[in-house]
Amino acid sequence: MMTLQRIRRVLGILLALSLMTTTQAHARTLHFAADSESPQPLTIYGVLDPPQVRPLLADFHSRHPDIDIKYHNLETLTLHARVLQERNAPRADVLMSPAMPWQYELANEGLSAPLESSAAAAWPSWARWRQELFGFTFEPIVMVYRRDLAQRLPPPASHADLLNLLQQHADTLDRRVVTYDPRRSGAGYTYAIEDARISARYWDLVEALGESHSALETTTGAMLEGLSEGRYWIGYNLIGSYVQDYVAAHPELVMVVPQDYALVLQRLVMVSRNAPHPATAQRFVDYLLSAPAQRLLASRTTLGAVHPDIEGDGTAADLRNRLGDAIRPVQIGPGLLATMDTLKRQTLLEQWQQAFDNRPTHADGPLADPSPLPDASTE
Amino acid sequence: MILSRRWRLSHLSLYRRLMIWLLCPLALLVAIMLLQAWLASREASDRAFDRLLDAASLSIAEQVRWQQSRLWMDLPPSALEMLATDAEERVFYALYDAQGHFVTGNRSLPSLPAVANDQMSYGDVMSHGMSLRLGVRRSRLEGWDRSDRFEVRVAQTREGRQALANQLFLASFINIVIIAGLAMVVVLLSARFALEPLTRLRRAIRQRNPRTLAPLELALPRELAELRQALNELLARMRRVRANQERFIGDASHQLRTPLAGLSARAELALRQTDPAIWRAGLVTLHGTATKTARLAGQLLSLTRLNNPEATPAKHPVNLAALAQRCVRESFSRHHRRGVDLGVEIPDRPVMVSATEWQLEEALNNLIENASLYGADQITVQVIDAPARLTVVDNGPGIPESQRLLVLRPFHRGQEAGDGSGLGLAIVDSIARAHDIRLNLHPANPDHSERPGLCISLTFPADAR
Repeated sequence: MMTLQRIRRVLGILLALSLMTTTQAHARTLHFAADSESPQPLTIYGVLDPPQVRPLLADFHSRHPDIDIKYHNLETLTLHARVLQERNAPRADVLMSPAMPWQYELANEGLSAPLESSAAAAWPSWARWRQELFGFTFEPIVMVYRRDLAQRLPPPASHADLLNLLQQHADTLDRRVVTYDPRRSGAGYTYAIEDARISARYWDLVEALGESHSALETTTGAMLEGLSEGRYWIGYNLIGSYVQDYVAAHPELVMVVPQDYALVLQRLVMVSRNAPHPATAQRFVDYLLSAPAQRLLASRTTLGAVHPDIEGDGTAADLRNRLGDAIRPVQIGPGLLATMDTLKRQTLLEQWQQAFDNRPTHADGPLADPSPLPDASTE
Repeated sequence: MILSRRWRLSHLSLYRRLMIWLLCPLALLVAIMLLQAWLASREASDRAFDRLLDAASLSIAEQVRWQQSRLWMDLPPSALEMLATDAEERVFYALYDAQGHFVTGNRSLPSLPAVANDQMSYGDVMSHGMSLRLGVRRSRLEGWDRSDRFEVRVAQTREGRQALANQLFLASFINIVIIAGLAMVVVLLSARFALEPLTRLRRAIRQRNPRTLAPLELALPRELAELRQALNELLARMRRVRANQERFIGDASHQLRTPLAGLSARAELALRQTDPAIWRAGLVTLHGTATKTARLAGQLLSLTRLNNPEATPAKHPVNLAALAQRCVRESFSRHHRRGVDLGVEIPDRPVMVSATEWQLEEALNNLIENASLYGADQITVQVIDAPARLTVVDNGPGIPESQRLLVLRPFHRGQEAGDGSGLGLAIVDSIARAHDIRLNLHPANPDHSERPGLCISLTFPADAR
């Protein structure tokens, strides 16, 4: 268990680096004071930047002005570690996080409480686990390219396009493609593992990315900056919700939802077991799953709505209509636990490293002792 | 008090008794079947879901290899997904090396004792407040150079098993309830059917004319036929008793009518005369007849009283010797005037018996009176002890052997010549019966052919003291 905890700590630092898209400092907490005589407290631990979460909380507050909301914006693994640390006396009522495997692990450990409501029961089964863990956003993982690229090369519309481009124009695209470094970014690792599960040709893509000396970043924000500055031409596996905002302000960039398959990230919300204020917690999660909140998510944020009755831009229904079966939401299930396995992680990262470096993989023969895991201290 | 009355079975109707004795075992049986069904459905669902643990652990074990000088495993997500059924169980796994050190996993899981000839063992464990079904697979590396042992432990929560077990149990439950319902209906019907002859018997008895004592003619099952027979025997006895009573009433009216008719005729005859001497002779005759008739009426009264089964007068210790002495003294002068020699022989000490004193007196007086009426001139009353016995011996004409039982019946007179009413010995017999006294008649002096005499002995039961 010691090794597990150590690795979680390492991952925590990695993920903290990776999932923050805006590098500038932002408010750590938001507070909406109740305007009633007997305020009902509600404490939320979330990984959702204030610009995205503020309209949501404000709307909830206007509907339930008796609730005193304290929102703590944490980094992904800080949240995970803090919840485990407070497991016997939780301080948070509601936990929201986009780090699906981590959030799932907490729920699997029994740290979530079931939500008995009609909204929870009606929630689409692919977006929930038991009545405890709910995916309330719908954020595709996308590619971004520079508009001027289209003048030289056909812009990629799918994973296969990108692989073809890289194989045929390796010289042109040398050092011009950017993606997540799965060794240093938890999000990048999660996408790598999902990509590898979906297609065996993923490893060809990794090899091609290595061949063209692709740049490796740890955050979507850094990738977008590089693309905007013209250092990179193509970005692969960026979080759609952040890209959407950024592209709106930077017309030189184009966002592409891959057509062969598009991974979809969901922010998972749950009520803590033994929550100090279970009633307000249930009201809040119930609100998140309600049509008004989902409509707000679709229209005023880039997070995307899951609710099956909400249609139009920025909804799951819209994306499904456009891409059909190509939409691959990360499954909320025990498969996510495999992502959390330390040996699994080492295995995948080695394989990734070898493919990227174009060294023979262990499938070709017995391995020499591979390079040790990168440690946080070396970053 | 109330409880004991409620539980006393003798108060319950036959139908209720049958119900209790049939339905209680039935309920017990149903309870046992339900328990068994519950255990069986639990076991069946465990068996079904244990296959998932088996498959998942196998799929994990296949990925275990030796790498970087340690046990290594590329955890297949599908193995874990296999464990989460529609019930969305929580899933736990862990890899342990031969020394029992944790290699990887999402929770430390306990080991289980090995089962012979099986790589897998299963068990229910509690872990962090969760009830888990644990499967432990013992396996070893299959390589050229290393064959280390290791254990793959997988566990899942019980929701899916519980749901399946509930579903299986519900099906069994419905079956058992239907069967139990049918059995209950059959029991109810058969109990009613079996008790139906009893209802017929009751109805037949209730519908009878209260004055008829004719035997019951009714087709009944064997057990009730015995009851019917017993009832018929009782009815037959009652018929005989009633016949006796009717004859007695007829005899009694006849006996009373004769002297009354005589009285009337004598009075009429005397009234035709004018001579006061003849009137006087008539009145003397009338007085004699009236006295006799009064005595007859008295005897009839006492016989009726004795034969009344409702009245059983209390018994007290009575000194038989004193009683005999008193009776003889009281009637001595009367008999002495008639020239009868009345004597008494009693022991020195009291002879105690439990009896109704006036009845014994009545019996003894009747015996003495009877002997004197039928022509004895020497009567001896004897009392002896151990066993207590009262004997009246006379030297009268006696009673022939063929008559000895008949004389005990009312209005039967041993000799037409006698002056008695024919009730004396019947009264003695009734008293003897009421006291369980053995009544014995035999000749006092059998050698004497003309006057053999009569010896009547009343032997008291040994425990009557």
